[in-house]
Amino acid sequence: MSLFGFHYRLESKAIGLTLGIIAAASIGGMVEIAPLFTIHQTVEDAPGMRLYTPLELAGRNIYIREGCYACHSQMIRTLRDEVDRYGPYSLAVESKYDHPMLWGSKRTGPDLARIGEKYSDQWHVAHLNNPRDVVPVSVMPAYGWLLTTELRTDDLDLHLRAQRKVGVPYTDNMIANAASDAYAQSNPDAPQADGVIKRYGKATTLRAFDGQPTRLTEMDALVAYLQVLGHLTDAARKSIAEVEAGQ
Amino acid sequence: MIVEHAFLVGFSKSFGLFYLIALSVAVAIHAMKPSNKQRFDEAARSILRDEAEPWR
Amino acid sequence: MIAQLTLIERQHAIMISAAIALLGGLMILAGRDDLMGVHGALISVASIIMIFRIGGSYYAPPPSEDRLRHYYDDPSKVGIVLSMMWVVVGLAVGDWVAWQLVNPDLTFGAGWSSFGRLRPVHTTSVIFGFGGNALIATSFYVLQRTSRARLPDQVTPWFVLFGYNLFCLLAVTGYMMGITQSKEYAEPEWYTDLWLVVVWVTYFILYLRTLARRKEPHIYVSNWYYMAFILVVAMLHIVNNLAVPVSLGHAKSYSAFSGVQDAMTQWWYGHNAVAFFLTAGFLGMMYYFLPMRAGRPIYSYRMSIISFWGITFFYMWAGSHHLHFTALPQWVQTLGMTFSLMLLIPSWASAGNVLLTLNGAWDKVRDDATLRFMMVAGVFYGLTTFEGSFMAIRSVNSLSHYTDWTIGHVHAGALGWVAMITFGSIYACVPWLWKRERMYSPKLIEAHFWLALAGTVIYVFAMWNSGIVQGLMWRTYNESGTLAYSFVDTLVAMHPYYIARAVGGLLFLIGGCLGAYNVWKTIKLPGTAAEHAGDLPQPVVLGAGIPQAAE
Repeated sequence: MSLFGFHYRLESKAIGLTLGIIAAASIGGMVEIAPLFTIHQTVEDAPGMRLYTPLELAGRNIYIREGCYACHSQMIRTLRDEVDRYGPYSLAVESKYDHPMLWGSKRTGPDLARIGEKYSDQWHVAHLNNPRDVVPVSVMPAYGWLLTTELRTDDLDLHLRAQRKVGVPYTDNMIANAASDAYAQSNPDAPQADGVIKRYGKATTLRAFDGQPTRLTEMDALVAYLQVLGHLTDAARKSIAEVEAGQ
Repeated sequence: MIVEHAFLVGFSKSFGLFYLIALSVAVAIHAMKPSNKQRFDEAARSILRDEAEPWR
Repeated sequence: MIAQLTLIERQHAIMISAAIALLGGLMILAGRDDLMGVHGALISVASIIMIFRIGGSYYAPPPSEDRLRHYYDDPSKVGIVLSMMWVVVGLAVGDWVAWQLVNPDLTFGAGWSSFGRLRPVHTTSVIFGFGGNALIATSFYVLQRTSRARLPDQVTPWFVLFGYNLFCLLAVTGYMMGITQSKEYAEPEWYTDLWLVVVWVTYFILYLRTLARRKEPHIYVSNWYYMAFILVVAMLHIVNNLAVPVSLGHAKSYSAFSGVQDAMTQWWYGHNAVAFFLTAGFLGMMYYFLPMRAGRPIYSYRMSIISFWGITFFYMWAGSHHLHFTALPQWVQTLGMTFSLMLLIPSWASAGNVLLTLNGAWDKVRDDATLRFMMVAGVFYGLTTFEGSFMAIRSVNSLSHYTDWTIGHVHAGALGWVAMITFGSIYACVPWLWKRERMYSPKLIEAHFWLALAGTVIYVFAMWNSGIVQGLMWRTYNESGTLAYSFVDTLVAMHPYYIARAVGGLLFLIGGCLGAYNVWKTIKLPGTAAEHAGDLPQPVVLGAGIPQAAE
């Protein structure tokens, strides 16, 4: 029972072993990881990179919630066949606002790093609703309920605020308008639509992603996210063009 | 700032390497030191000795 | 079991449970608009049940002083039962999702049952539920006997065991509701992670407290491995899970890291979770139960020390081999590859130690399925670590990464090494713990062994094939210089392998069920061995897996 009544020599041995394990184990990790925290000094920068809109962020959270990352990577490697199949290889800067990253480790389905705008919204909705309607041999689960589940928007400002705490530069204005921006992005005719463009840039796509302008569903959010993948910045396309021009 | 990153990388590549070599050598010496042999053999046999009760 | 606790310990247990119930209540309140509230309710209900259980025996007569003359094994017993329950659940879910890849409509249209949500249920149940409970249970067992010291009190081990299972339960129920951080093998959200930190720190302090009571100055090498397991997992867990919650009432949080830093941190965690959870802990188990079961000391104690330190400092550098050809700087990738190759030295030192210990006792291995479980575990450990180093080579990895080869590799380790050494150790220590002459049915152990081996081999071969086929198809060009196969083409080619994999998994699951049944029946056996025979097992094996009865 006594926590303090033991012999000092025995105590020092166990503590010594503990410290030895910590030293041996931690230094390797620190030496290897520490330089990565200064890596932004050397990697390419993307000054015009835009942020995820509240709707896209909500879609990203649905992507995480459903475990899509278990079967889809978002990291095109620097290999010829991957570039031919999926597009320009992924750059570090492209996921700099991804908390957490979704690079993935397995491709039971194809890579999604550049899936954005490759397929129409209708295709995505039909595919998510039942993949086998579009790709007969697909083994992807059906996500039919996304189309009927209302998206929760009342706490989106808190989400943006938390994102800002970990380093994503959302402005006060973006945080204050998070819920209405989410609604307006999927309803381009809404009066608040101009604000979305003003806050997130001209490249932002405003569409009724799920085909129902008046309803804001989880399908809207997920499709909006999928359609922006690979389009937050054109750094990857540009840098490859530069490399080719230089040769 | 660029220097800082280069320094960290250089540090990893040089110190990291020597640190590991030093650790490996130290462990090998500790494990192989003839004077430790008896202690280790005793430790290996110790678990098989039948002492049915905790001493405290 | 509660009758074993002293009155003060019963009071402490009730107070701790009440505090946890209160915490659950606060979570219900804060998370009333969020799924976190559901978890708050679960925590409250679990701890209130605990209070009633303890309260029900509160006035039972106090335990006799005689209890101090025996090791405190009740937590180990419960831990082993929990471990066998988790393995059945975890393997069943795993096989279910394997069949989902054969027929995707086996989700039955529900959200909770889709592949993406069930996959972490499978990984968490088998790694943390089965593996973790087995590690906690055996570590208490081994720690006490190698130190020849009783656990210092009777509440802390229960807190560790039940607290840990609460963590597993929160994790698994969370995934099905959609609560996840998406970090592989670190999916639970921030409050569950914080809870594990509390449990884990208590676990380590308990370990140190017991060691401080030990009789001999030398700390047996099993304890080194167990300690490295507890310590380093704590380190990894805390760093990788640093996150900012949306609010104190939200289950959702955002990782403190992003992009390339997050990838490196995650795979530093992911790879070292394999090293320190799935390797170090189970090596600790092996270094005790193998010599005990074989009745002979470990072949080379020196080799075990070298491999211990090798694993402790080589593994840490190897994580980046998960990120070859990605946006990670190349020098980090090269570092990861080099150290992955060097890891082969300590890994094979351990695998060799297993086989050399058994050298000269092959007749026992032939007759005793329990010992055979341990031997095969050693063989798979050697094979898997070789394969792992091989796959860390950049050119090999360019083919294997993102394919089922990785899944095959992981399962060669998880089924062949981790599960086999655990089943072997459980079959060895269940009769010792419950003071039975032997397991209920040696025949069932034999059946389990062959089912497990066949299941593993089928699984691994299916995944090797599918992985290499898919990897090659992805990179095949036709004469005109365009890609020869669409992604869908590769999917069609995978189908037969997915069926084979699911069948292999099913065999392994059936084996696991036989094991659980066998353990249960052994517990229910009348205690034929004298109840007050020594607490230390007789490390002698005779005949078909029947240890000699304690005199």
